[in-house]
Amino acid sequence: MIAAARDMFQRWRGSGRYAAAVPPMDGVLGPNQLIEEAPLLLETEAPDNLVADGDLFLFSTGNRVMRLGPAGPDAAPETFAKFEHPVSALALAADGALAVGLDSGAIHVKGGPHDGTVLHELGGRDIVCPTELLFDKAGSLLVALGSQQNPPSRWRHDLMEKNASGSVWRLDLASGEPSCIADGLAWPAGMLAGHDGQLTVSESWRNRLVDVCPGTKPKVSLSDLPGYPGRLSPASDGGAWLSVFAPRSQLVEFVLREDDYRCTMMAEVEPDLWIAPSLTAAQSFLEPMQLGGLKQLGVLKPWAPTRSYGLAIGLDCKGMPRASFHSRADGTRHGITSALEIDGRLLLASKGGNAIVSITLDEHGAAR
Amino acid sequence: MTALIETRSISKAYRGVPAVNQVSFTLERGEIHALLGENGAGKSTLTKMMAGVVQPTGGELLVDGRAVTYANPAEALRDGIVMVFQETSLVPSMTVAQNLYLGDESFFNRLRGLYIAAQQFLQSLNFNVDPWATVATLGAAKKQMVEIARAVRQNARVIIFDEPTASLTPEEKHHFFALIRRLTARGVSIVFISHALEEALQISDRITILRDGEHVSTDLAANFSRERIIREMVGRDLTGALYSRSRARLPGKPALDVRNLSMGQAVRNNSFTVYSGQVTGVFGLIGSGRTETAKIVAGILKRDFFHGGEVRIGADPVRYRVPRAAILDGVCYVTEDRKLEGFFETMSIAENLQMGELTARSHSGFVLRMAEMQTLADEWRNRLAIRSGDADARVIELSGGNQQKVVIAKSLVQKPSVIIFDEPTRGVDVGAIAEIHALINRLADDGLAVMVISSYLPEILNLSDRILVSQRGRIVEEFSPETATQENIMYAAVH
Repeated sequence: MIAAARDMFQRWRGSGRYAAAVPPMDGVLGPNQLIEEAPLLLETEAPDNLVADGDLFLFSTGNRVMRLGPAGPDAAPETFAKFEHPVSALALAADGALAVGLDSGAIHVKGGPHDGTVLHELGGRDIVCPTELLFDKAGSLLVALGSQQNPPSRWRHDLMEKNASGSVWRLDLASGEPSCIADGLAWPAGMLAGHDGQLTVSESWRNRLVDVCPGTKPKVSLSDLPGYPGRLSPASDGGAWLSVFAPRSQLVEFVLREDDYRCTMMAEVEPDLWIAPSLTAAQSFLEPMQLGGLKQLGVLKPWAPTRSYGLAIGLDCKGMPRASFHSRADGTRHGITSALEIDGRLLLASKGGNAIVSITLDEHGAAR
Repeated sequence: MTALIETRSISKAYRGVPAVNQVSFTLERGEIHALLGENGAGKSTLTKMMAGVVQPTGGELLVDGRAVTYANPAEALRDGIVMVFQETSLVPSMTVAQNLYLGDESFFNRLRGLYIAAQQFLQSLNFNVDPWATVATLGAAKKQMVEIARAVRQNARVIIFDEPTASLTPEEKHHFFALIRRLTARGVSIVFISHALEEALQISDRITILRDGEHVSTDLAANFSRERIIREMVGRDLTGALYSRSRARLPGKPALDVRNLSMGQAVRNNSFTVYSGQVTGVFGLIGSGRTETAKIVAGILKRDFFHGGEVRIGADPVRYRVPRAAILDGVCYVTEDRKLEGFFETMSIAENLQMGELTARSHSGFVLRMAEMQTLADEWRNRLAIRSGDADARVIELSGGNQQKVVIAKSLVQKPSVIIFDEPTRGVDVGAIAEIHALINRLADDGLAVMVISSYLPEILNLSDRILVSQRGRIVEEFSPETATQENIMYAAVH
């Protein structure tokens, strides 16, 4: 009874677990402009899904999978594959097989021993939202389905609807037998297979990373991130690179708690103008006011509250943050959806900034 | 030509302990004379004797060549000698205008006329202070401005400033120095006590250095260098110890996590983390919400009732209603205003430390053991090198630096895990600055989460492992001390 009364009081007051507070970006996550100042590798529309195997370096843009030639990632890109719908996930196997997830809700396998495989459902569940694909060492395909309600392109809807219908699957391509590893996840957007077979998944809407294992509850490995975590990729030092595609903000957290307001907003306002995270830096004056993010003398301050941000976090072997790369509120290289370490460089796909940038790393995995 | 003020072998002793010992000093007409020395060197006592606040126990004070004895400051004022104190002596419940004209009121006062006159007078000094504002609502800098304005208004021939710039922003200092020059052009003489050596070198015509209550040297400012001043002040070379930093410490666990903290217009959506084993420096201009944030964390002020944000100690959200709860959780705040909030001035060092220790006890009990109190006081007097006759010395009788050490000791006896220093070296001499800096570093090395709020950039740059910049109620930037420069910190703080 007392707990219920306290809960009601806290809800009315906006305190306790109803405090719309977000963790600060400081310490290891202290701001810098390393992404904004990084050399541009390639300017292309909405790049995403950086993957590489040996000389083959691929990324997706719209309906296409592009290849940066054998000359290395600095060469001009060429079309590797083209699909009828936007590509939402990409995985490359050691045997040359390429798995492609589409926004329409399908997974295609090209090349390798299972060339031509097309999947529309897993374990009797329709594939609606393939957010991430990964080949494991045994040749199985790991599939992250972000949601059962919305396709990948409607990620903002899924956040605002507060869904938690994501799942992670293991698919034995030889037998076609799927098995569910974890269910009830809030938009699993990234996967990383550890050396010990441990699978780490980023759960975007819960702002955390979890270790998942069939038959057990997900175990939180890193929580309370200041943004929405996306893809994970391995780092050369045994750690990982985590792409954070949008920042959390107090305003968005507040809107997420105000159900009536949120439903009205979703019903009556264009999605691009919602008070919701964004991949792209503000361009239109119609964009929602960003509480204090007003320009001073025509200059948008880097510390202004923002709906979009560029952030990639380097994690150590224990999964703790050890370095971070930023493009701040006054920058344009926002919406970092994918990171890939290759030849001592960190390539970052800024989906909101239409750019792939390259950061030279030192021996500690920090920017040189 | 006779000097305006001259002291001949003047002395003052408290309880037999000499504070000033046979000091001879002269102040010429229209000069700015800086008086430098460590805390406890006798600067304040010497000037207080000139201003009639205390009476000498030996020697002679001459004004315009005639020997005088002032029983109180009013007598000194009749000779045109005014002292502006480090801690303001304004009436907090009165408005700025009322304070300016306090003592000069007529039987019937036209309020409108009073405020218009006050407004015009403050404008003539370039002081941006609202004459209608109640003094209690003003920040330290504005109180200082009112104090200075009151002295100037009394048409003084000699104005003695005790640490006038300690609470002023760089821009306000600029105005203040311009004001001082205007005053000297009118024939007013200035005695200027400061611990900011650069200021003394920049503004003064002559410099006198005292050490341990005795005169060391007097010379033209042009003949002094920073190194010479420090050497003569402390009797040893401190330049290397002051403002030279070692490698930045790596962060430990988050000890204090502030998220979207809000309190009216003073603190607006402020977020930052303080880590164990590190000194987190917070720089900002006066009024940027640093002190208010620290006071909310320590339970001295209250955040907004609705959506006031979160404070976490470790992983636990906390909301302290009184400072004691914070102290019991290991969070201590060392105030910037030591005289008002830092200690009980009429109590002894031992009693003050005991009060600190009692606050940190969950069960106080009824019996106070005098021997324990004495042991505690002796221990901390030795550890922090608090210079006093004995532990029974009243804190009011100590110099500024030693008072500050008492305030720090009063917090340290509470065995904190998070300690927030607000302007820890304000009004403290170079020798004590070095000691306090060493102490802060030692605390961080011992694993405490240390937060240092300072308006002095060299201090922040050299003491901090991380530098946060506060502007208009929130932290806007973070710098590492390796990459930070005074320019980019100031840019973030101002723009």
